[in-house]
Amino acid sequence: MEPVLQAAELTKRFASVAAVQDVTFSLAPGQVLGCLGPNGSGKSTTVKMLTGLLEPSRGKVLFCGENIQKDLVGYRKQLGYVPEEPNLYPYLTGREYLEMVGLLRGMNSGRLGRKIDALLGLFAMHPHRHSPIGSYSKGMRQRILLIAALMDDPHLLIFDEPLSGLDVTSALVLKNLIKALGQHGKTIFYCSHVLEVVQQVCSHLLILRKGVVVAYGTTEEIHNDLHHSSLERTFMNLVEEVDTEKTAENIITVMETN
Amino acid sequence: MTHDEPQSAPRPFIRLVRLFLDRTFHGGDESGAGELDLSLGLVLSLLALPGALYSTLLFEKYSTLLLWMRGQHNFDPVAATVPDEYFFIVLSTVVTGAVAVWRWDSIFPDRRDYVNLVPLPISTKVIFLANLTAILCLAGVLAVDVNAASALLYPLAASSGQETFRYVAQIAGMHVLTVLLASVFSFLAVFATVGVLMAALPYIVFRRISIYLRSLIIVALVSLLSTSFAVPSMIGNLPQTWIRFLPTVWFLGLSQLLHGSANPALAKLGSLSWKGLGFLFFTALAGYSMSYRTYFARIPEAAAVISGVRRESVSWLFPLFDRMLLRTPFERAGYRYAIKTLFRSEHHSLVVAGFSALAIVIASQVLFAALSGGELNVGGFPSAEVLSVPLILAYSILLGLRLAFEIPVDLQANWIFRLLAVKRSSECIPLVRKIMLTFVIPWLVAFATPIYAYLWGWAIAGFHVLIVTLLSLVLAQILLVGYRKVPFTCSYPPFRDSAIVTVLSCVLGYFVFVVFISELECRALLNPLYVVPLILIGPAAWYVTSVFGETIADVDKQIIFDDSTPAPFELLDLEQRS
Repeated sequence: MEPVLQAAELTKRFASVAAVQDVTFSLAPGQVLGCLGPNGSGKSTTVKMLTGLLEPSRGKVLFCGENIQKDLVGYRKQLGYVPEEPNLYPYLTGREYLEMVGLLRGMNSGRLGRKIDALLGLFAMHPHRHSPIGSYSKGMRQRILLIAALMDDPHLLIFDEPLSGLDVTSALVLKNLIKALGQHGKTIFYCSHVLEVVQQVCSHLLILRKGVVVAYGTTEEIHNDLHHSSLERTFMNLVEEVDTEKTAENIITVMETN
Repeated sequence: MTHDEPQSAPRPFIRLVRLFLDRTFHGGDESGAGELDLSLGLVLSLLALPGALYSTLLFEKYSTLLLWMRGQHNFDPVAATVPDEYFFIVLSTVVTGAVAVWRWDSIFPDRRDYVNLVPLPISTKVIFLANLTAILCLAGVLAVDVNAASALLYPLAASSGQETFRYVAQIAGMHVLTVLLASVFSFLAVFATVGVLMAALPYIVFRRISIYLRSLIIVALVSLLSTSFAVPSMIGNLPQTWIRFLPTVWFLGLSQLLHGSANPALAKLGSLSWKGLGFLFFTALAGYSMSYRTYFARIPEAAAVISGVRRESVSWLFPLFDRMLLRTPFERAGYRYAIKTLFRSEHHSLVVAGFSALAIVIASQVLFAALSGGELNVGGFPSAEVLSVPLILAYSILLGLRLAFEIPVDLQANWIFRLLAVKRSSECIPLVRKIMLTFVIPWLVAFATPIYAYLWGWAIAGFHVLIVTLLSLVLAQILLVGYRKVPFTCSYPPFRDSAIVTVLSCVLGYFVFVVFISELECRALLNPLYVVPLILIGPAAWYVTSVFGETIADVDKQIIFDDSTPAPFELLDLEQRS
């Protein structure tokens, strides 16, 4: 199957420091690629290059075989993106924000209104649709971002920590939704710190450390290759150099010191 | 035990006062992004600048040498100080009031303060007192800063002909006390208004009316500024005129009372200033205490999400514009976004309200001057002054909007425009032009046309509205030369280098757009030959801006989201290129 999204030797340098170096992967329709890595591993930079917000210093992002930089507007029409931070305009209401995003995406206003109302209802946001976003909790803002990403039925979805701030029910809905989207042929790039969720929803894994890919393959392959009992162990083995149990003990010691 | 921390850590109360003061000066934005990053020193200097400039100009007025050279041998220095003293009182009131309105939201502790401070081992009484202390300190700092330069320079200027130190000290003492009290009065008036309204109204209602109230106060302050030249000449007829209701006149009375030169009516008003100050102080204190109890202490009980109701009454408006005016999806989304920002973001509303207030004040003065001079000439031809009124309004509103577009709002939220919006300025400028004209054409058609038609007939009304519309379009085009932003989504421009040139251009533009055009139009009504240059001005200006636009390099036509000064040097990164 022809890949929908490909990253070819993606590299981003800030001054002389390489934030991301030679990241290469491909995603076919229906695949859900989980991107893991500790803070500073280059996940956000990779996501920004995949969305076209940052131009790579070297390498390219291909969408259906075409470099996205050739037609960014066309590419973004096919892209749904949930950023890490729910930065929204606080004085717009939830519905107004979604209406604005829908219009920017060029959606027909009749279709847009119907979709917004239906999705607001499904994400339990309908009662708050006319309230200003400034008064929303983080979880509510996150739900607005999710609706904004999904409502135009994009082929490619890029989620950066989409569960952040969501309540248990919404998180469960989203986990099932990601699996279902994959089954419906959508291509998903999923960035997260929550290993259990990645293990549950992702068919493939990409693990970054200091801007470099340290593991890439199907979730089973990575498990099998490293012979660890859980993804947590695999992750710790690949990216962390910290003895977490020892660190926890040290914190307690400092707390208890007079 | 280690002792790395400083031995004399500030007490919680003092630290809290500092926190509230810092918050007031640095804004209440969650991220701080989008705030104009001016240092405290620069803010204080800017506030002190008008007083310093005016005081400096007064040295010329009171110079004994210049008076002698002009032949003004009967110059009465005491009488001459009345208009200047009044001007300083007005300036002090307006600047302090404007700053208090600008920082309206930061005066009271909010939900964020509650979340951060109440869980700490500090009683709410301490938080209350610390915030109150911070407010009083702020009032003091503002009063001193706004009047600092004039307190030093004005007494020196006004006592040029007097050699006794006693006279200089008397003028200085009188002046300093009056302007400081006027500043405090202005601050307390705003503070009392906020406190009483917060105490009396449900918080949601208060938030809704807050923006309109602030705009109204700005209009009142600008109108007050316009009284500074008219009031001194009306002091003789004080009991019969409306000016006795102006608090600034009460403080002029106080100043004259202290000087020992007040007439009975002015002396009576002078004593009213003390009563007014006392009344405001206790009202502000009571309002603040009550609002603290009704709002701050009940934050956890209040619903976190403000309930909202869709206003169906105007929901037909945007679809109508979609069909008639807005052609692309970007224009439709951008238009809604910009209009809502201008009406709901308090900083943007205040800028537009300030420019509109200035326009109304100037237009009223021009109109009143024309009416008092008997220049209305109903049925004949309107004078240039009368014709200039819509031009003044259009010029100020368009200028205010242009400035408001430069003020960013929540820069971190602009990612959606980076992701989905247009790439070239040529796609954005038509949208911005339509937004600008939305604020001019409706009132021009709804109000100006019927008034001009009623007074001078439909032909003159139609001609005048056509000229104002055409020239507003041209002015919008000129103001947008080099503009390459989606409104409110880009960081502040590096204005420091060009601020003076920009202000001078605006003043010059006023004379061309308002004075010159209205004069030309007036002549065109009397002599049809003048219609030709009047009509040609529009297309000529449009052509020049278009030609200039074409000379801009292609790279400078890309939409930007970060308006920073160009780097002094560029890294060639030859290693990568090779």
